[in-house]
Amino acid sequence: MNNMILQVENVTKYYGSGSVVTKALDGISFSVQKGEFTAIMGASGSGKSTLLNVISTIDRISAGKILVEGHSVADMKEDALSAFRRDKLGFIFQEYNLLDTLTVGENIVLPLNLRRIDAAKTKAELQRVAQTLGVADQLQKFPYELSGGQRQRAACARAIIVNPALVLADEPTGALDSKNSKILMQTFSLMNRQLGSTILMVTHDAMVGSFAQRVLFLKDGQIFGEVVRGDRDRQTMYNEILSVMAGLGGDTGEENLPQTAFEQNNGVAGGGDAGC
Amino acid sequence: MLTKLAIRNVKRQIGNYLIYFFTVSLTVALMFAVNNVIFSEALLQKAEIFRELKSGLIGISVFVALIVAFVLGYATSFMLKLRKREFGTYLTLGMTRKNILSIFVLETMILCAAALLAGMLFGLFVYQGLMLVISNLMEMEFAFAAYSVKGLVLTVVLVCGVFGLASVTSALYLKRVSIYQLIHGDKVVDKQVKHPVLWFEIVIISFAAILCSCLVFYKTTEKMFTQGGGSGGMLFGSLAVLAGALVFFHIGLARSAVYLLLKSERFCSRGTNTFTLRQLSGKLRSNAVMAGALAFLIAFAVILANVSFVQKVSEESTLDQTYPFDINIVSDATQPAPVSEEQADKIIRSFVPIEEKMHYAVYTTKTAYLYSFTRWTGDGYEGLEDSIMAQSDINRLYRALGRDPVQLDGGFKILCNVPQVTSFDFSKAKLEIGGKTYAYTGIADDMPYITYDYFIAVVPDEAAQHLSLQSNGVAYTLKNQKFDAQALHDALSYPYTTSDGAYTYDRCDYHIREYGRMQRNSNTAVFVTGALYVSIVFVFLAMAILALKTLSGLSDDRRQYSILFRLGAGEREQSKTLFWQTFSFFFLPFALPILLSIPTGMICAQIMRMAGLSMTGTVYLNTGLIALCLIAVYLLYFTATYLLAKKTVVRSTL
Repeated sequence: MNNMILQVENVTKYYGSGSVVTKALDGISFSVQKGEFTAIMGASGSGKSTLLNVISTIDRISAGKILVEGHSVADMKEDALSAFRRDKLGFIFQEYNLLDTLTVGENIVLPLNLRRIDAAKTKAELQRVAQTLGVADQLQKFPYELSGGQRQRAACARAIIVNPALVLADEPTGALDSKNSKILMQTFSLMNRQLGSTILMVTHDAMVGSFAQRVLFLKDGQIFGEVVRGDRDRQTMYNEILSVMAGLGGDTGEENLPQTAFEQNNGVAGGGDAGC
Repeated sequence: MLTKLAIRNVKRQIGNYLIYFFTVSLTVALMFAVNNVIFSEALLQKAEIFRELKSGLIGISVFVALIVAFVLGYATSFMLKLRKREFGTYLTLGMTRKNILSIFVLETMILCAAALLAGMLFGLFVYQGLMLVISNLMEMEFAFAAYSVKGLVLTVVLVCGVFGLASVTSALYLKRVSIYQLIHGDKVVDKQVKHPVLWFEIVIISFAAILCSCLVFYKTTEKMFTQGGGSGGMLFGSLAVLAGALVFFHIGLARSAVYLLLKSERFCSRGTNTFTLRQLSGKLRSNAVMAGALAFLIAFAVILANVSFVQKVSEESTLDQTYPFDINIVSDATQPAPVSEEQADKIIRSFVPIEEKMHYAVYTTKTAYLYSFTRWTGDGYEGLEDSIMAQSDINRLYRALGRDPVQLDGGFKILCNVPQVTSFDFSKAKLEIGGKTYAYTGIADDMPYITYDYFIAVVPDEAAQHLSLQSNGVAYTLKNQKFDAQALHDALSYPYTTSDGAYTYDRCDYHIREYGRMQRNSNTAVFVTGALYVSIVFVFLAMAILALKTLSGLSDDRRQYSILFRLGAGEREQSKTLFWQTFSFFFLPFALPILLSIPTGMICAQIMRMAGLSMTGTVYLNTGLIALCLIAVYLLYFTATYLLAKKTVVRSTL
């Protein structure tokens, strides 16, 4: 229980009022362990983004309970919620959401600034994260000077610089091509394995989902199924995701799973990722 | 269909248009009020100056309308940019640019009509208020002022012209802009500034230039008052330097201050400081010239408002010196007076009883000996003769005015009414009259206007007997009761033809104090009204531009603050950040003009001192009040903008 980062208990979310009410989440329950990399998949309108929004406290739940490190986010007041987002969560968005008026370095340290961490420590943390994620050369540049993949890596660096309890990623590869998507997923794996980040990622792409250790499938606001990778390689995971998604009738993403550069460099055969 | 869309858009955009609409309506109200004043029959009948200055006032009104057109053109382009995505969508849906322009022009016309209506309705009250102020200034009894059709027509023509010009600006923008730019916005990206230290040096140099221009302005006015030198060119030159320096100051500040602050790791590591600085840097850099221009507009308004009040105070203060007696005449002793003293007495008595009459004589040495000690000597000053009065005459007049008698200590004394005469050295002057020598014993610069001369010499009575009579003066003291000064002035006037025979006009040689006071009141009313009108319009327009510029960037700000919110910046932190961002942007073009109030007040007070007036306290009070009014307008616009921005930008939990 000590390793439980996130607990979602019977969460329901309604939109609208009066006779026009939409049930976006319908009694969802699941939990995420510390250091786990979980993906949530489902077709458009299945409730993926709503689920991420209520976990990230930018939207309120209608019923149920969400606990992060044992604290119920539904009971928190406005200021406490801001502090919670600042201290416990890291965000990675589809559109990068880097502030285009700030340099890459300034973007990455912004969460530390919000915590009022002193300048020396901020500088040290920036160097550490930037080195790890390979953006150290880009710190003085503005986001518009970077490629999509580089921007998303900078967004990853910003998400993990405060060592959050939970990193939330909303369609992180949505704006990237397949090559950069794979590179980004390798970065996620790196964050997960080397830096111990707990990641909860929403995606509709089977290839992206195959990088996770566990995939939850949503349909009509309910958990439809779950795939756990265990000791299996990524190719097997990918195939299983495809078969579940076929059952769901949703978008399956890619037909084939080519070997990534990361996998080639690490000598992983068959496009699988035995390390996860 | 387009009309329906335009009406719906105006309804929907009412929030965005609020500040724009408020400013335009206020400007229209002021225009309407001033135009009605220009054509006011009541004023035209009572004050000759309104007749004389009518075309000048219309010129000011048109000039203000041109400035308004320029500013509104600028403002309208912000409004367009605020909705560029919407117009981009229309274009992608297959609408032509002509359709979109029609929608926008239609919207502008609706807004123009609404602003015209609201402005004129408000203007009905502003006009009565303005007439109340003018009536007070002119000491006229206030009565409900009739509205003028000509004033109404001029307002409608000017406002339609203003909106026409503003629409042309929008049309040009819509014609040029691409669909991509409309939908995705002009990707204004911040770049590293080159040579921030150099730009900071430019800030310091510009600031020094601002101080220098104030100093040159001050020195030139001082020279004009004390030595009669100093050119108008220097005054305009110093104002031009001020304008240029203000622009460079703001450009330099925008390119240096933020970047120098960004170098402070300690400052930047605190909260949203880096974010605020970066938000500001882009805005300031792209608006630096505008900020400089606005600063000059506001500074100009500050200077104009101050000068108008100085004019009012000085007119009031100098009345006693310029018109020491109720009626005063100095006539050439060698020619018969066009209106004889007997005729004049009869005319005056028909208006008001005469309590006392004092006759005095002005003599001449028939030389320009004393003038040789001044700068009014040599070529171009031929024909000047020294004017001299007897001690007993001047002391009789001074006694009547409650002044101390003039002591000569066996010599002669100079009395003058222009301070610059005191700068001439008469110490070696000696008057040889009737075989006796009279040495110079001193100078006083408080001589009332009892002759036409800048200065006279006062000599003992025995010396005056040996001099030739130049002119005769009569000073009247009237019974303290009201009379029609304008009618008296007209009655004492006679047709006068200029020496070349070119013009004939009614001339009055009698200086009637009450008539002079009325004339000065009219002058003051025209000057103060004109100056305040221009100042108020400039300040409101400047503030409106800052507000609209801020509001036009809200969609970008909203996205940025949304990211801050997700990163854990709560409502309070976002509000604080937005406050500093908006405050700094608003404050930059405002700070220097407000600071310029200090040297402006000092210069005005010094001018008053140099003019021999002691009401410097009133000048400082006026300067303070003007600054307070500016701050009030600033706070009004800033608060409205901040609250609107906060409502749009700051995000809290849904």
